[in-house]
Amino acid sequence: MKTLSTEILVIGGGAAGLSAAAEAAAAGAKVLVAESDLHLGGQLVKQTHKFFGSKDEYAGTRGFKIADILLSEIDSCKENVEIHTNTTITGFYSEDGTFTAMRGEEKYFHIKAKKTIVATGAQERLIPFPNNDLPGVYGAGAVQTLMNVYGVVPGKRVLMVGAGNIGLIVSYQLMQAGVEVAAVVEAAPRVGGYWVHAAKIRRMGVPILLRHSIRKAVGDQVITGAYITALNDRFEPEGEETYVDCDVICIAVGLSPTTEILSQAGCKMMYVPQLCGLVARRDRTMKTSNPDFFTAGDASGIEEASAAMVEGRIAGLSAAADLGYPTEHGKLDEYWGRLQALRSGEAGARICQGLECVLVNRWEDVSDD
Amino acid sequence: MMEWKNTANVVIIGGGIIGVSTAYYLAQNGMKNIVLIEKGTICGGSTGRCGAGIRAQWGTEMNCRLGIAALDIFEQLDQELGMSVGLNQGGYLLVAYSEKELDTLRKGMELQNSLGIKSRQITLREAREICPGLAADDAVGFFFHGRDGHADPFLTTFAYLEAAKRLGVTCHRHTECTGILVDGGAVRGVETDRGIIHAPIVINCAGAYAQLIARMAGIEIPNWAERHEIMITEPVAPGVCPCMLMSFSGNYYIQQRPHGSIICGMSPAGHPEDYENKTTWQFIEEMSKTLIRLLPRTRGIRIARQWSGMYDMTPDAQPIIGETDVKNFYHSTGYSGHGFMLAPVAGKILAQHITGKKPDIDFSMLDYRRFARGEHIRESNVV
Ligand SMILES: Cc1cc2nc3c(=O)[nH]c(=O)nc-3n(C[C@H](O)[C@H](O)[C@H](O)COP(=O)(O)OP(=O)(O)OC[C@H]3O[C@@H](n4cnc5c(N)ncnc54)[C@H](O)[C@@H]3O)c2cc1C
Ligand SMILES: Cc1cc2nc3c(=O)[nH]c(=O)nc-3n(C[C@H](O)[C@H](O)[C@H](O)COP(=O)(O)OP(=O)(O)OC[C@H]3O[C@@H](n4cnc5c(N)ncnc54)[C@H](O)[C@@H]3O)c2cc1C
Repeated sequence: MKTLSTEILVIGGGAAGLSAAAEAAAAGAKVLVAESDLHLGGQLVKQTHKFFGSKDEYAGTRGFKIADILLSEIDSCKENVEIHTNTTITGFYSEDGTFTAMRGEEKYFHIKAKKTIVATGAQERLIPFPNNDLPGVYGAGAVQTLMNVYGVVPGKRVLMVGAGNIGLIVSYQLMQAGVEVAAVVEAAPRVGGYWVHAAKIRRMGVPILLRHSIRKAVGDQVITGAYITALNDRFEPEGEETYVDCDVICIAVGLSPTTEILSQAGCKMMYVPQLCGLVARRDRTMKTSNPDFFTAGDASGIEEASAAMVEGRIAGLSAAADLGYPTEHGKLDEYWGRLQALRSGEAGARICQGLECVLVNRWEDVSDD
Repeated sequence: MMEWKNTANVVIIGGGIIGVSTAYYLAQNGMKNIVLIEKGTICGGSTGRCGAGIRAQWGTEMNCRLGIAALDIFEQLDQELGMSVGLNQGGYLLVAYSEKELDTLRKGMELQNSLGIKSRQITLREAREICPGLAADDAVGFFFHGRDGHADPFLTTFAYLEAAKRLGVTCHRHTECTGILVDGGAVRGVETDRGIIHAPIVINCAGAYAQLIARMAGIEIPNWAERHEIMITEPVAPGVCPCMLMSFSGNYYIQQRPHGSIICGMSPAGHPEDYENKTTWQFIEEMSKTLIRLLPRTRGIRIARQWSGMYDMTPDAQPIIGETDVKNFYHSTGYSGHGFMLAPVAGKILAQHITGKKPDIDFSMLDYRRFARGEHIRESNVV
């Protein structure tokens, strides 16, 4: 069995993972990045819109361009970075510290690392309704990948479920690609995403139906329509069901952090609604209760690419420092300053609430259960 | 949450298949006010982690009798409990790799036949008709019993539990037994992390934890917990492994679930005995090789998950059922890796005994004091 060894293993080559790799490699550490996709960049590569956030995190730049910037930064210290795309970390075995990995469907091997940064991003949530397993029911992220990475439209007429940023942005991008959006239904009494995104699609005549949800999908072999209904205060269906003609149902009801490897490494986990699910407890250096494991980006709580990049830098810096590489004094505080700036808005307040639950000052004070 | 009462007629410790079936049969035999306590969730122990194979091809008379009686019950369980238990009778195909093993299995078959179990020795060709594509040229013999098979451990346990609840059984999950109340040589109830329950009868169905519970009453049983690993593949078309394929010396069992996933397990050397349901990469690597060697067309099928669970072992690999030196404190444990299949009959006979009826099968030889007396007969047919 082939075993690759490295000082720092970065799992996931998205915004967080690439930033972590760049930072650690710049400090002199040997880094191995494993990314299950065929290319690096994670969510960034499919984001054709301009980003919000702060200048330091490339606000005003389109997502896929940000990925290019990070890749050129890594290229400048490439002697320290080994990149494995099409490579999925399939498990971590704590008894002897072995990672198992698959390259494509063919090559299986082991990896050993002194420190590991888990930057595995997030998974799309699904909601239950009859026929939700018919072809034509997609996650919004999958639709975005299909269109913006592979240039394929999913169908002709879409029902979008969820009016958070992802639902709104993907609705707009569907229309840009010539696909009709029948309606956006949203269970909450208000739009969850940024108002500019909502306004854009309202201007194009797409109804955003608040307090509404999907009841069931219709179709024999594939989706041919859907029934939607209004919801009352307790989120129960109320009144008549309305038929919507569509061949695609796009689910944009949020993301959950991808944290299996952290659990396998025995990291202390905590369910935090504000961070959208089960996440690892961590200190200011993004270190978990397992001192060889760090977490960053959506895997540590669903936020934004801007924060993911800063968290990645903190994790990369700290992992390198733990291995004895000299790092610039004050950099950690600078990164925390940036995070605080990014988290100053309304959405940031929620994130800060969540962080208060998971953030650890001193591991010695954390009880063992 | 079910209402908490601090008295009961019977307290059952453990919400695995054994505890739940025992509760059901006690209620069915007219026992009232039964409380079952489970420290975690129903099926969270070995039951929800098991291979769920069911067979009558055993090497001791006791296990044969229990095995065939359990099959009789399983075959009409959907009807009795009003819910499907996912029974699939594709048979067990046992593979022998040495003359010595062939001899043991043949003796087992003779014993089984004498007890009405219609197992038979078959040829490689017949084995290939039952399990197409089977690559076992290195094998020296095959045995088959068509009524064997597997069921769904979750469905079976929940079917028993729901039926038991309809008969008035109370079930407290997330309730841990922390002590056994004993007075004047007889059991008086249990202490739990939610309070005391006074009861004149207590049954220890705590699976691999049973020796810890026994110790709370001052009783030592020679059981131990043994970690076993198992894995499941993505679903593929049915027919890849229509029967339960098993070898004791080959150290494997393989079955295909009705929805197409293949479940397989083996026993690694040196089982850790630490109550930690950990997994190893060594297992998936070895198990995959075995699977591909036996059923070459499984090559390329993806592994979906792996997990592990505990066998509740006894020195002779046969269960411990019956009363202890503490009066009215019963054991139903030590199923040594085959407690799922025996649960229907085990629950039934113990319930018959406790309610003063003559058990369908005399289980007095499964008393735990047999070990001290040196009376155990080792079961050979185990993986
Ligand atoms: C439609 C949409 C619009 C958005 N708009 C904005 C915006 O305007 N501004 C903003 O700041 N943010 C935005 N975001 C959020 C942003 O994209 C994410 O927060 C960010 O990409 C998170 O980065 P990450 O590196 O943590 O995760 P990801 O980018 O998801 O990267 C994780 C990577 O890990 C890989 N991976 C996972 N598991 C394994 C494994 N076991 N082995 C190997 N590799 C693995 C995945 O393939 C993936 O490439 C948007 C998101 C979406 C979906
Ligand atoms: C990998 C594997 C494969 C197997 N394959 C098969 C097979 O093919 N066929 C077969 O018949 N058997 C098989 N078995 C064996 C089978 O799983 C067990 O024999 C059977 O499930 C035992 O049931 P049980 O109810 O006694 O134990 P369990 O299901 O373990 O239930 C005991 C319960 O007691 C609870 N408990 C423990 N301590 C306390 C306490 N202090 N207070 C309250 N509750 C407590 C536990 O949480 C647990 O839920 C397999 C086992 C494993 C691990």
